[in-house]
Amino acid sequence: MIRITDLCKVYKTHLGPKTVLNGLSAEFRHGEKVGILGRNGAGKTTLLRLISGVEGYTSGRIERRMSVSWPLGFAGAMHYSISGADNARFIARIYGKPLDWTVGFVEDFAELGEYYRLPVRTYSSGMMMRLGFALSLAVDFDCYLVDEVIAVGDSRFGERCRVALAERHANSTLLLVSHQVATVRAFCSSAAVLQDGRLTRYDDLDEAIAAYHAA
Amino acid sequence: MSGSAASRGSALTGLRVQLRVLGALTLRELGTRFGRDNLGYLWLFVEPALLGGAIGAVHHLSGHGLPGGLHVATFWVMGYIPYYLLRGIINRAPVAIVSNQSLLYHRNISIFDIILARDLLEGAAVGGAMLAFALFFGMTAGEWPREPEKVVIGMLMMLGFSHGVAMLIAAGSVYTELFDRVVHLFTYISLPATGAFFMVFWLPTELQQAALWIPTVHMFEIVRNGQFGNQVPTHYDVGYVLGWVAGLNLLGMAAIRRARQDLVI
Repeated sequence: MIRITDLCKVYKTHLGPKTVLNGLSAEFRHGEKVGILGRNGAGKTTLLRLISGVEGYTSGRIERRMSVSWPLGFAGAMHYSISGADNARFIARIYGKPLDWTVGFVEDFAELGEYYRLPVRTYSSGMMMRLGFALSLAVDFDCYLVDEVIAVGDSRFGERCRVALAERHANSTLLLVSHQVATVRAFCSSAAVLQDGRLTRYDDLDEAIAAYHAA
Repeated sequence: MSGSAASRGSALTGLRVQLRVLGALTLRELGTRFGRDNLGYLWLFVEPALLGGAIGAVHHLSGHGLPGGLHVATFWVMGYIPYYLLRGIINRAPVAIVSNQSLLYHRNISIFDIILARDLLEGAAVGGAMLAFALFFGMTAGEWPREPEKVVIGMLMMLGFSHGVAMLIAAGSVYTELFDRVVHLFTYISLPATGAFFMVFWLPTELQQAALWIPTVHMFEIVRNGQFGNQVPTHYDVGYVLGWVAGLNLLGMAAIRRARQDLVI
C-alpha cells in the first residue's frame, strides 16, 4: 500500500515559488492498476517522482508499504556512458540480484540486439525506454510507476509490457500517468484525475474519463 | 525487546545495502572514468604518477638543494601526490551530483554514497601512485619511508579532509554554479598555502604560527615526518587535523542531506 497525506510540492523558480501539488491525498492498494489523468503541466510526472522518492517534497507525508519502482520514462535510472549490459550488472549489484540472470533477462526482454553491448547514449529514445523497463522488471518491484512511455514505444513492446505486468497482477500495482485516455483504458482498471494540485479518485474508469474531459 | 532486535536487524540490513551500493558505484566509477581503452584501469595510477614524476624530475634536474639536505625529488613528489589527492577530489566535487543524477532514481543510492565512492576511488588511485613512488625512491636512492604508518595516516587525513570539503561543495553546487566556476581557480591559487611545497621549519617563527592555522599544512608535515623521520623538524597537531576532518564531514553530511531535499532531477 502507498498512502499519501496532504502532499505539497513547491518549486523555486526564477519567477518565484511555483506550487505544483497542493494538499494531495490518496491511497493505492496492492494489485490496483490506476491511471492518473492530467493535462500537460498538471504535475503528473512530479507526482510520480515524489512517490518514487526521486525528489523530496515540501510538506505532507508519503508512506510506502511495498517496494516502489523508479519512474519509468525516457530518462533516468541508468548511466549513459556505459552499455546496457553494464547497466544491467549495475542494477543487479544495487538491488542484490544475481548478475548473470539479470544480464540475460534484460537482454531478452529489451531486445536491443548488439546495441546491448554499446553505450546507452547511442540508443534511440525507444531503446532507452525498453532498457529502463526491462531493468525495472528484473528488479521485480511490487509497484510500477509508469510515465506515458508504454504508449509512446512501439506497440509490440507495449503489449509485452502489458503482459509482463499482468502476469504479476495478483501482487503488482501499477500507477500510470498519461494525458491520453486510450493508454489508461488499455492498462488500468480504475483512474484518477490530477487537477489544481489535487487528485480525485474514481472507482469507475468511464466516470474518471468523463470527469477528465469535463475538466 | 523485539523492537530493538528488529531495529538492530534493519540497521544491519541497511549497512549491507550501503556496502553493496558503494561497491557497485565504485566499480561503475572505475568503468566510466578509465574505460576500457588503451591502458584502461592502469590510468588510475599512471595519471598521478606521471604528474608527480614530472614534478620530481624537474626539481631533480634543476639541482637546487633543500634545507636539511632532503632528497630533492622525494620531497617534491611526496608533497605533490597528497596535493593531487586534495585537488582531484575538490575539483571534481561541483559535478559530483550532476554527473550522477540519473543514479538517484534508485532510492537506495544516496548522494553520500556517490561522493564517497568517487573519493575512495581517488584515494585508492593516489595511494597506489604513492606506494609506487615510495618503492621507487627506496630502491633507487635508498629513501625508504622511515615511519610508513605516518605517511598512510597523513594520506588518510587528507582523504577525509578533502571528502568533507567535497561534500560541502557538491551540496552548494545544487544551488549555484558559482562553485563550478571558482573551484579550479581556488585550488590553483591556494597551492602555495596548502603546505605541499614548503616545510614549517623553513618559515620565520611568526609565519610558522600563521601557517599552522591551515589544516593541510599539518597533513603534509605528517607525511614528511613519515618519509624523512627526524632528519628535519616537523610541526603538526593530529588532534587539530582530526577536529577539522570531523567538523567538515559532519557539516558536509548535513549539507548534502538538505540539498537532496531541494534537488530537482
